[in-house]
Amino acid sequence: MTKMNKRVACIGAGMTRFVRRAQESTGELASLAVEMALKDAGLTMNDIDSVCLGTAPDAFDGIHMKGENLIAGSGGANKPYMRHFVGGGTGVFSPIHGWMHVASGQFKTCLVVTEEKMSPCNPHPAGAFKTIFDHTTEQPLDLTLIHIFAIEMARFMHKYGYKEEELALISVQNKLNAMDHPAAQIAQQITVDDVMNSKLLSWPVKRLDISPTSDAAVAIVLSNEDVARAQTKHPVFIEGVGYRLDTAYWCTRDLAYPDYVELAARDAYKMAGITSPEQEIDIFEPYDPFDYKALHHMNGLLLDKSGKKVKELLFSGSFARDGSHPLCPSGGALGVGNPIAATGLMKIAELYFQLSGQAGKRQVKKDCRRGVAQAWGDLMQVGTVVVMGNDEAVRGRKTFWSEAVPEQLPGTAIKNPQDVPHMSYTPDLRYSWDNGYALTTYLDGFKNGKIRGSKCSSCGRMMIPARSFCELCNLKAVEDYYDLPDSGTIETFTLSHVDWDSSMLPDGQINMFAVISIDGAAKKMGLVHRLGDVDPKDVKIGMRVKAVWKPENEREGNVLDLKYFRPLKDGEAIGEPKRIKPVEMDSTTAKAFPGQIPMSYIYTAGIAGAKFYNDFAQGRVSGTWCEHCQKVHLPTASFCEYSLKKLDPTKDAREIDAKSGVIASYTVVHDDRSGHQMDKPQVVVQISYPEAVGTIFGKLETSDVTAVKAGMNVELIPSRTVGEGLMFKTC
Amino acid sequence: MKIFVMGIGLCGTFPASGGQSYRELIARAASQAYSDAGITADQLDGAVSIEEDLISGYSISDEYVPDQLGVVKKSVYTICGDFLHGLNSAVMTLKTGQYKMLVVEGYSKASNCLTKDETLTFAYDPTFNRLGVSPHYLAGIEMQQLLADGKYTKEDVANVVVQMRKNALANPQAAYGTNLTIGDVLGARPVAEPVTENMIARHADASIALVIGTEEVVKSAKNPVCISGMGWTSGNSIIERRPHNISEGTKAAAQMAFSEAKIANAKDCEVLYVSDLYAHRALMHMDALGLEKDAIERINPDGGVLGMGDLFEANSGARVYDAVQQLRGHAGTRQINNAKKAMVQGWRGLPTDSCAVTVLEA
Repeated sequence: MTKMNKRVACIGAGMTRFVRRAQESTGELASLAVEMALKDAGLTMNDIDSVCLGTAPDAFDGIHMKGENLIAGSGGANKPYMRHFVGGGTGVFSPIHGWMHVASGQFKTCLVVTEEKMSPCNPHPAGAFKTIFDHTTEQPLDLTLIHIFAIEMARFMHKYGYKEEELALISVQNKLNAMDHPAAQIAQQITVDDVMNSKLLSWPVKRLDISPTSDAAVAIVLSNEDVARAQTKHPVFIEGVGYRLDTAYWCTRDLAYPDYVELAARDAYKMAGITSPEQEIDIFEPYDPFDYKALHHMNGLLLDKSGKKVKELLFSGSFARDGSHPLCPSGGALGVGNPIAATGLMKIAELYFQLSGQAGKRQVKKDCRRGVAQAWGDLMQVGTVVVMGNDEAVRGRKTFWSEAVPEQLPGTAIKNPQDVPHMSYTPDLRYSWDNGYALTTYLDGFKNGKIRGSKCSSCGRMMIPARSFCELCNLKAVEDYYDLPDSGTIETFTLSHVDWDSSMLPDGQINMFAVISIDGAAKKMGLVHRLGDVDPKDVKIGMRVKAVWKPENEREGNVLDLKYFRPLKDGEAIGEPKRIKPVEMDSTTAKAFPGQIPMSYIYTAGIAGAKFYNDFAQGRVSGTWCEHCQKVHLPTASFCEYSLKKLDPTKDAREIDAKSGVIASYTVVHDDRSGHQMDKPQVVVQISYPEAVGTIFGKLETSDVTAVKAGMNVELIPSRTVGEGLMFKTC
Repeated sequence: MKIFVMGIGLCGTFPASGGQSYRELIARAASQAYSDAGITADQLDGAVSIEEDLISGYSISDEYVPDQLGVVKKSVYTICGDFLHGLNSAVMTLKTGQYKMLVVEGYSKASNCLTKDETLTFAYDPTFNRLGVSPHYLAGIEMQQLLADGKYTKEDVANVVVQMRKNALANPQAAYGTNLTIGDVLGARPVAEPVTENMIARHADASIALVIGTEEVVKSAKNPVCISGMGWTSGNSIIERRPHNISEGTKAAAQMAFSEAKIANAKDCEVLYVSDLYAHRALMHMDALGLEKDAIERINPDGGVLGMGDLFEANSGARVYDAVQQLRGHAGTRQINNAKKAMVQGWRGLPTDSCAVTVLEA
């Protein structure tokens, strides 16, 4: 690795308020953050050479390819625009990708935008996490994100000797810090007892250990040093970047320590010339979606697998804003909120505010030269790290951001999307995944009451699930398969009171999930499964367990053929690994495993959409006057996608003659939204109006599809239906 | 700083690929690319994958990248775009000086996605653009406008299909090579008139991997190809305010790429690829690149998307694979004489006008 080519600076930031449910649409949220960031940087969209967007799963906003939908709101229209993605690590990867745009010499400026709107997701955004697990070997168990966090938290506590109330200190501190953050969603003064007494969700995780789900957008402006020096006396430079992604086989790792964060931090420190992070970094913004996670990540950021340094700093109060090692002075995800990708960039913005001396009440006591921000994501798998620094310590600047109060930030909190114009939608997303060579033999093992592994002849690891190549040995082919003992040892576990969709289980029901290293497999090589035939309070890390199988005639060749693991009885025999012939592939054995993404959505129509559909219900059409373009935008708009200036769909409304519409283009469509042929074709029309720039898409009510022609005069058929209800008829 | 394609791998294309998991499909292309580049996976600094959620059935798809590429714990990220977007991003990564060698990967297991039109419908704006009909409706709107301009006829659009499917017959790796007539294409079942079933590329399974590196590390490769220009631009995502008879994204992306490659226009390249996900789009893209319709005979010698199949985000990866084969003189019966420069144009597909252009030189 060499030192970076060009210095890249952050010269502006913008963000909406973080709220549980926002009325604004996905694109509107982004546009509001962008407008503020441009203003803060003293630039316009004309000065922006490129745009990159970070946003986490499509399943949150409920828009496939949502990066494409966000082009207009992010300022990407007719610009070089790209969306990057590393799951929950996306927020801090976003400035890294922006840094690449500028440090490569390709562009002078890059607008970096992050957005997450989690509230459309029903029944709860947590449900979207069911489908982050391996579709064939893990999803049938009905796991969700809280389970994997709880499993990791238990392991972290076991290895480093933390008590739950000690971890709660982070939740207390971060929520308190957030009271000074203008964007904060759940800033509050709470105690350790409050955390301990909050609802137990999935032991050891309690309600107040967790950050909330949120809607928000954050944007920053990056530039090369020349532009930065011209725009500000206090540029904050990106001094080092790192990002690492570990294996997706998460049950093969000791979850107690984030190797991937350490490796990413080492990359960033090397670039920044940091050799002793504990001494050379002044502010820490580790990702804190759960309280223990901040400490877990801090071990990695301080390159300390022993965990001693972090424990000392926690118990000595050094993580406080006036301490020696301020941790999450922003309030973090626990206090400000956690709209995944936007959270990471909020942390970068906090370093920018602190290092440019405009953090106001949140300004840390010590003089700051350097800060580090980090995000995490995927299956306990990705670490993204950015080190930022200034020319000299600066504090006490009075700027918009140093004085900002919540009322000055955009973003409209609503209680229920059904209180505003909205639409409901349930996509039909179904799959049948080819098992392939290795999993065919693995799943055949379940049908036969066996746990099967495959052995790499290079590194000697016996691997579960069986695979046909070794991910650690240059993809060496793995051809030896074994039946393994169906017994093992609990590496970590959770006792869960919540289901995959975040709903509470019936009183008295506890789902016990554990990571179990299997006898005969390589060290720590295991699988996740359920426990049974054991009192929850007797479950321990290190407990020996054995598989309980369904009766042979009920087995189907999937992971649920293994009902659960029960405690191994004293003196109970354990088998030996036995080499077997793998299943021969033919048209009967080459099977596929069925699944689906089981989500539905309620979308708000947004600020512009609300105006549009309110007009529509009355048979009216109005556009929005844009001062920048000197034109009337149609459909109704709350921002101009070229200048990113905010528009007011009500104040800037321009009435359009609803009967002046003509067909600009049309198509006779024969299939429905799923691709099934319809009994009767439908005509989709694109309608233009002489007074406006833009058109409206809808369906034409007609009994003769062959009579439809471009240029025909049409009018709206008023309706209160949002979305699919846009209908026209010929005048 | 010059960046080179050092090695290439392609597993596919297949109408379906039962018997291979997506991991096995990708590992095979990656192994081919590493062997071609004269390297092993442990020499790589990291990877850039090109993938979008939901197509694969995952809601955080980037998790499942490092293992089958052999890059566990390395610097890996995902671009949600066309393959060229990912390739261009990877080139930027190398140009920062942070790394020297990366693998760029894209794949399609389209056959495992049972509700592809439904997934595409889900990509339309929920407030304004989900109309309860086939998501191909926007293709119908576009083609109608293109024909209304008078520059192209239905027969010209149909000829794109005839040409691409014929080209694919000469490509042993193409899934959909066949002989069709213009009448066959125009007479096929209408989907969103004037777009017929045959004007829409069928889906296919495949994986593609490229090893790219800096001058410092390119020596291990026997047949490196230089990436001499790259550009990408997205047209407006508000489809009500975007023209549908031209591809503004392609035009701007091409200007950026041609400027960097120091060429005047696409005609300076002997080998040309444009996205033909829909037949009319090939003509729109050619128009934006300054190519006349009779240039269709020179386009997509591998059969394009219509001939090789729609690989979702991996589409342009198959084109780059063929471009490298052409520039190396390894394209067999479909070899274009004196191939020194190749231009690949990629498009993200509906409902976007997100396009990218990459210029490669022998």
